[in-house]
Amino acid sequence: MKTLLLIAALASTIESPAERKIASARLWLKKDSGSYPARNALALALARRARETGDPAYYRQAEEALEASFRISPDNVEAARLSVWTLLGKHEFARALEEARALNRRMPDDLLTYAFLTDAHVELGNYEEAEEAAQWLLDLRPGNLAGLTRGGYLRELFGDIDGALEWMLMAHDQTHFNENEDRAWILTLMGHLEASRGRLEASEGYLAQALELFPDYHYALGELGKVRMAQKRYPEAVSLLRLRYEKAPHPENLYDFAGALALAGETEEAEALFARFEREARAESEGVDNANRELVFYYADRASEPESALAIAEREMARRRDVFTRDAFAWALHRSGKSAAARGEIEAALAVGIKDARMLYHAGAISAASGDRKAALRYLEESLALNPYSPVATEARESLQQLEPQVAP
Amino acid sequence: MRSFELCLGLGAALFLAPPPGSPSNHREAPITALDHKADITDLYAFVSYDQNQAPGTPPTKVTLILGVDPLLEPANGPTLFPFDPGILYEIRIDNNRNAVADVIFQFRFSTEYQLPGVYAAAAGFSDLGGAPGVPPRIEDFQNPGLNLRQTYRVTMIRGNKRVELENEDGSPFFAVPGNAGPRTMNYEALFDQATYHLDDGVSVFAGTTDDAFWIDLGAAFDTANFRTLGSGVPGVLTNDEDMAQQNFASDTVSGFAVNSIAIEVPIEWLTRTGEIEAADSPDATIGVWGTTSRRKMTIRRSPGPATTRGEWRQVQRMGNPLINELLIGIGFKDRFSMDQPKNDAQFADFFLNPPIATIVESLYSVLVPGALDVPPAPRNDLLPLVTYTGPKTGPIADLLRLNTGVAATPPQTASRLGLIAGDGAGFPNGRRVFDDVVDITLRVGVGGVLNVDFNHFPNNVLGDGVNVNDAPYRTSFPYLASAPDGRNRRHVDPGEVGGGPIP
Repeated sequence: MKTLLLIAALASTIESPAERKIASARLWLKKDSGSYPARNALALALARRARETGDPAYYRQAEEALEASFRISPDNVEAARLSVWTLLGKHEFARALEEARALNRRMPDDLLTYAFLTDAHVELGNYEEAEEAAQWLLDLRPGNLAGLTRGGYLRELFGDIDGALEWMLMAHDQTHFNENEDRAWILTLMGHLEASRGRLEASEGYLAQALELFPDYHYALGELGKVRMAQKRYPEAVSLLRLRYEKAPHPENLYDFAGALALAGETEEAEALFARFEREARAESEGVDNANRELVFYYADRASEPESALAIAEREMARRRDVFTRDAFAWALHRSGKSAAARGEIEAALAVGIKDARMLYHAGAISAASGDRKAALRYLEESLALNPYSPVATEARESLQQLEPQVAP
Repeated sequence: MRSFELCLGLGAALFLAPPPGSPSNHREAPITALDHKADITDLYAFVSYDQNQAPGTPPTKVTLILGVDPLLEPANGPTLFPFDPGILYEIRIDNNRNAVADVIFQFRFSTEYQLPGVYAAAAGFSDLGGAPGVPPRIEDFQNPGLNLRQTYRVTMIRGNKRVELENEDGSPFFAVPGNAGPRTMNYEALFDQATYHLDDGVSVFAGTTDDAFWIDLGAAFDTANFRTLGSGVPGVLTNDEDMAQQNFASDTVSGFAVNSIAIEVPIEWLTRTGEIEAADSPDATIGVWGTTSRRKMTIRRSPGPATTRGEWRQVQRMGNPLINELLIGIGFKDRFSMDQPKNDAQFADFFLNPPIATIVESLYSVLVPGALDVPPAPRNDLLPLVTYTGPKTGPIADLLRLNTGVAATPPQTASRLGLIAGDGAGFPNGRRVFDDVVDITLRVGVGGVLNVDFNHFPNNVLGDGVNVNDAPYRTSFPYLASAPDGRNRRHVDPGEVGGGPIP
């Protein structure tokens, strides 16, 4: 009875699902300090809290809980799974893949292991392997939540935005109504999908629901900030992205925030924040959890230091070859005057199937620089047709205007 | 740019899901435990025989039977047990020893309702001139009282050729419904009408029948807690018990029905050469397995969904009996169910070092020390169950292997113990409905009697005490017994006559 009352008291003061889980796991540990399942529960709750807040410190705490769990029971499968999840959260994709494979050999029917294999492969850019793992996950249990979210993300990467939305909605419908953060996460993704094809009103609808479910959710704030930028409502974008950065103070969030300030005409603050971004992003650039993609674009487009952009992009490419890293690498090559190599990289990224207005603009600019006007026109038109409000729409229109007179009769 | 956390998905709900339940016979893997309709119960493959079969009659046809949808309680109305139109049911045959299908028989079902406003199959009183508003007793498939009615189509795939097997007059194949009871239907008449004999000597049948399997299931899954009979040692039969055509323990499956699909075809349709091969020809032996599949949710959507066929995902497969239930580890069962036999080398450790043998040996070392010695792993004596014999063994694969050149044994002299009792037409040379695969598996899989050094007491008299089926099998195609009727079905329980002792 006492325990129940305590949990009720905690529940009334604590908002987030992860915080509630952390509190109940700690209570469990207090009653049974030798319990490894209790430590696993704590690790899971901490890893969830890391996602809720974007604060990687929770991953470190989760790892400590897992180490304690392994000390008590070295072979426990639950801790092995959580260890993979934590590694993914920390962006240690190669190690996560290795551990997920070992787990898969030990327990080939475990659903979540296939989800982890998919995640690691996606992040490393091994899309065929990712699809194989996700398809098997869906074959094992058609319509399972983990499979739908992974399959939905792959559909997006393969250029099927309608299909991605279909599965994300199914995933949302399956999520328990009380799991506010999980639901907000799916709605944020749906908002992102609609925004990526220029349907800003639909996107706003999903993002507003996400923020209602989980107020000040950093992912949703970030996406809504980008929607406001697309709508040229810069002051609103600034306040949303400022709040997002306060909630999740990572360099990559600082980059978006500074960009919004610049567009809003707050040049002085923008410059100061870009300088801070550069410092902070450089400081973590050698680590696995970094803002290297943003740093590449910063050096390529803002600081006019293409060599620095290229050096960082090359380093990141040694770690992962996903479409977003390839895109950044291609852009760094392009800015360094290496158009032929840039074209190979951007086309390799687009060959995966992704429909992304910025990548298409990059492909257009790179094609133009390599003298292929026809391809350049095609890519630029495709970028604008996909999303006339994208962050690169203005540049795409300007490039198109420069190219069009040359092909006109 | 999205950061990684954004695509990390929803682990929590799954982490918190309860672990899958423990397996039971007829419900092998977690995936199939969740998909009862697609669960394969048994697969049979044997050279066809008839009541008055003379010894040494040259083989001409093979019968293949696939049972699905286990432990159907016949009284469980109102819809009884239709086949699932969403499932592709297949019987697959390898005829060149590579564990890849060369001939496939596919079965797809359709359902229709004849009286949508009426709650169930409702009929009766034809002998009393009928009752107002109630259709007469169901004697045929045209009777509207047979409210839920199923038809099916059969396709044979051989190489690149797809052939639909049809009635000569184009009329549909009806599936026999569950046996609602004697007022409602003449089940026997429906059974006979639904046994279709086509051109070229092909016969097909589908419907709800008696579950042809028999086993003391409760004892087997109470960690091999077999009943103590005349020998005084649990799970060990006396010679008299072993020879008797009666049960000394309860057939847990008694009184239950199952959905069965059966097809009988000329042997020439199945062999690599297209000929009936002599028993000593390597081309006489075929490998058979059954599968159930459902449509996939594919990540890559078809560009023309209305015109192109979606892919299938295999839910379950079966070759030899009891492999998935008793050998494959719980964390591997879905992989086994969904994979192809040609990839079965990955399960070789389960086949050749079966945990069930170790468990039973360990239990006996406590119960009756020294009574049972089991061959040590690797159990290469079990290789003939998972590979072909002869110079070309092919890969390790769970196939039910049948030498189509071996003459059927006349029913009067056939042994429930098949090959190990000198009846060369029985399991593991194919599997007939009356083969006692439980006792054979105990003797071969646990006792190791294929190795002459272990073919002695008590290894060669292990048994669950269930020797016969509760219902009489037919002696011609489709060989299955009639489904128990819902009103009068009887499950034989421990403690009653024919059900064996409770302690």
